[in-house]
Amino acid sequence: MTSLKTRFFGLELKNPLIIASSSLTADLDKIKAFSDNGAGAIVLKSVFEEEIINEYHQVAQNKVESHFDEFMDYFDYKIRDQVLASYGRLIKSAKEASKVPVVASINCISAGDWLQFASQVQDAGADAIELNLFIMPFNPNRKAEDNRRFYLDTVREVSSRVKIPVTVKISSYFSDLASICHELDGEKLAGITMFNRFSSPDIDIDKEKVITASTLSNENEHLLPLRWAGILSPRLKCPIAASTGIHNATHMIKMLLAGASAVQMASVFYKKGPAHVAEIIAGLTTWMEKKGYESIGDFRGHLSLTKAANPALFERAQYLSNFGGYAGS
Amino acid sequence: MTDYSEILKQERNADWRVELRNSLANKERVALERVKMTEAEPLERIKSQTCEVNRGLTADEARREASRCMDCVTPTCIEGCPVSINIPKFVKYIEGGKFLEAAATLKEFSALPAVCGRVCPQEKQCEAKCFYTQKMKKDAVAIGYLERFAADFERNSGKIQVPKVEKRNRVKVAAIGSGPSSLSFAGDMIKFGYDVTVFEALHEIGGVLKYGIPEFRLPNAIVDFELENLRQMGVNFEKNFVVGRTASFEDLKELGYQAFFIGSGAGLPNFMNIPGENLNGVMSSNEYLTRVNLMYANQSDSDTPVLRGKCVAVVGGGNTAMDAVRTSKRLGAERSIIIYRRSREEMPARLEEIKHAEEEGIEFMNLANPIEYLANKEGRVSKVRLQRMKLGEPDASGRRKPVVIEGDIVEIDVDLAIVAIGVSPNPLIPACLKGLKMSKYGTIEVNEQTMQSSIPEIFAGGDIVRGGATVILAMGDGRKAAGSMHDFLKKKYNL
Repeated sequence: MTSLKTRFFGLELKNPLIIASSSLTADLDKIKAFSDNGAGAIVLKSVFEEEIINEYHQVAQNKVESHFDEFMDYFDYKIRDQVLASYGRLIKSAKEASKVPVVASINCISAGDWLQFASQVQDAGADAIELNLFIMPFNPNRKAEDNRRFYLDTVREVSSRVKIPVTVKISSYFSDLASICHELDGEKLAGITMFNRFSSPDIDIDKEKVITASTLSNENEHLLPLRWAGILSPRLKCPIAASTGIHNATHMIKMLLAGASAVQMASVFYKKGPAHVAEIIAGLTTWMEKKGYESIGDFRGHLSLTKAANPALFERAQYLSNFGGYAGS
Repeated sequence: MTDYSEILKQERNADWRVELRNSLANKERVALERVKMTEAEPLERIKSQTCEVNRGLTADEARREASRCMDCVTPTCIEGCPVSINIPKFVKYIEGGKFLEAAATLKEFSALPAVCGRVCPQEKQCEAKCFYTQKMKKDAVAIGYLERFAADFERNSGKIQVPKVEKRNRVKVAAIGSGPSSLSFAGDMIKFGYDVTVFEALHEIGGVLKYGIPEFRLPNAIVDFELENLRQMGVNFEKNFVVGRTASFEDLKELGYQAFFIGSGAGLPNFMNIPGENLNGVMSSNEYLTRVNLMYANQSDSDTPVLRGKCVAVVGGGNTAMDAVRTSKRLGAERSIIIYRRSREEMPARLEEIKHAEEEGIEFMNLANPIEYLANKEGRVSKVRLQRMKLGEPDASGRRKPVVIEGDIVEIDVDLAIVAIGVSPNPLIPACLKGLKMSKYGTIEVNEQTMQSSIPEIFAGGDIVRGGATVILAMGDGRKAAGSMHDFLKKKYNL
């Protein structure tokens, strides 16, 4: 009997396919459908502190007269209460709709607010918390050390205060990715997901206007998390979930072979719907049966940095073999 | 119908106004300095919750201050008043020594002149629009002080003038809540001839004027006097009556009430939802001030005493925060501290209240924001952890926003913490009315021109609509709602 069980979020999951945080996971019908089609866990759409700030600005724009100063002075707390209460209701409803673990995802930009968000999602019944941590490195005055302290302080503070498992989802924007992951690993995390995916600007050349690029990942993007799952999984105590560009069973199997314990997927379900979950799970099962693997542990990490026959490929950055001849001709 | 500006012009051309204007050259008027309000000594006033800080103007001071007013052709000060008080007229009556006429003029527009003269932020309203402020960059005519003077003079004279009311039309209307918006509504509706009842859930009439504002700023006796005026005009008051519990709207309709004004305010305190906020010794400013102002918890024989901290932290920078922190000083605190996440410049409290607080020895810990309350062994609050802040860019409201200084966290000892960061509408009444359109923040949505809600016979104003408003804005809502309800009922009943 083939077992697809794995561990992530400090929990035993029935399989490694985690539905990543996205607008799909704010919809109760879809959450139920993902669960019914066999997903291993579901990460709810992130609650963003930035949304609260934006809403505050919208309200404030209509209340610029000075007699509203007292009303507006702490109105961001009011909005936050409302946003968190609404998120709490989503967690409760999702727990009722889903047979698999429901994970809350929170994104704050102010260091002090993570703890409050984390406490409230714990109280609402989330099975685990994913801290969606990122600082886009476009502030010329912000040093790498500032970011490092922000990440570590936040993780340390939240982990020490909540009882449910805590994981982080990080970006690849680090000059010392291995080092920061190593330090995060020291904070007794229940997992690291790599990587979160950002909206990107694009340019419409006809209208000569900056626009938002397609938000969905493409398949080639899975090579970035593949590299880092391969490099870091043997070096970290906490499990890794790979994310970005993973669209099918083949991609998932590659990630598991590289050492990831699970994968997080979202973009492909926008195209193919929740029923595609069952197809991917079936693909994994078929492959394992064909290979004679009875459990994920039988093959997970077999092609990681420390076990692959040609590990240098994980660390190579330049196209030496491809372009060596070209350069010399 | 003659419009208001035409009436103002005619009044300005009245002989007595022309004579008064000619009695002093403008050059001499503008040379006069703004009057200084006499205040109780800080060390004396902090010994008593009922010692009013501002002592009012003498008749000479009031006349001199009134003579600073230029009696402008276009009185922009009126534009700054939410209830459109005929400011030049009452000010000029004061200059001419006709103080009772000044009071009568105020009462044409405001049900609560002695209250407004004390608690309105005139510096942001009528005085901000004064010729002196706008054109000369000098101190405005002290319109608020003069309003208070006229109202107090009438009260102390014993010659109380009850405004005229129309003949009763036997149509019953109700105001729910007895704060400034309801009282203002009631004052106008009774003048129009309606049978008006004000329903109040608490055991005292006055709403936030009684439970929210301490007596050192607004003595209860002043509020009671204004209420008595409304009573004499014919307004009925029902205390200890919770609409939606004691009786439903349907019950009231069966009793003949044809239309309702909801002015139930915002009695639900907001909290920061930070760790430790549920500890003993952490409370809302609503609770603290209500216990003291309305239930006399400051008195030694009170049945409902309040915690008296030795080291009291009040979180917030508005008038309510100032009221709470100054109250704590009067209740014997050795240290009373304002904790505010912006700087003094951004504080929404009136400058006068901040100045009074400073004089009374209140400490200000600005650019700091609580992130956690810590308990002692008995489970009572003993410390507050504060995140140090700095000012960032202005936000959409135009004020510079507070930004966290990462890693800069301090702790201070406290034995009482009072949270004064705003209030939300009480959900009880809206919950009783099916079909009432509400905003996501629990306020009643109304037509801004008429204050009429999605239920035609329901009108609303004040904090239940605005979320938070000044006394005078709430009064403006009450007046606007009264005018609209009058039109609505006239059509409905061919009045």
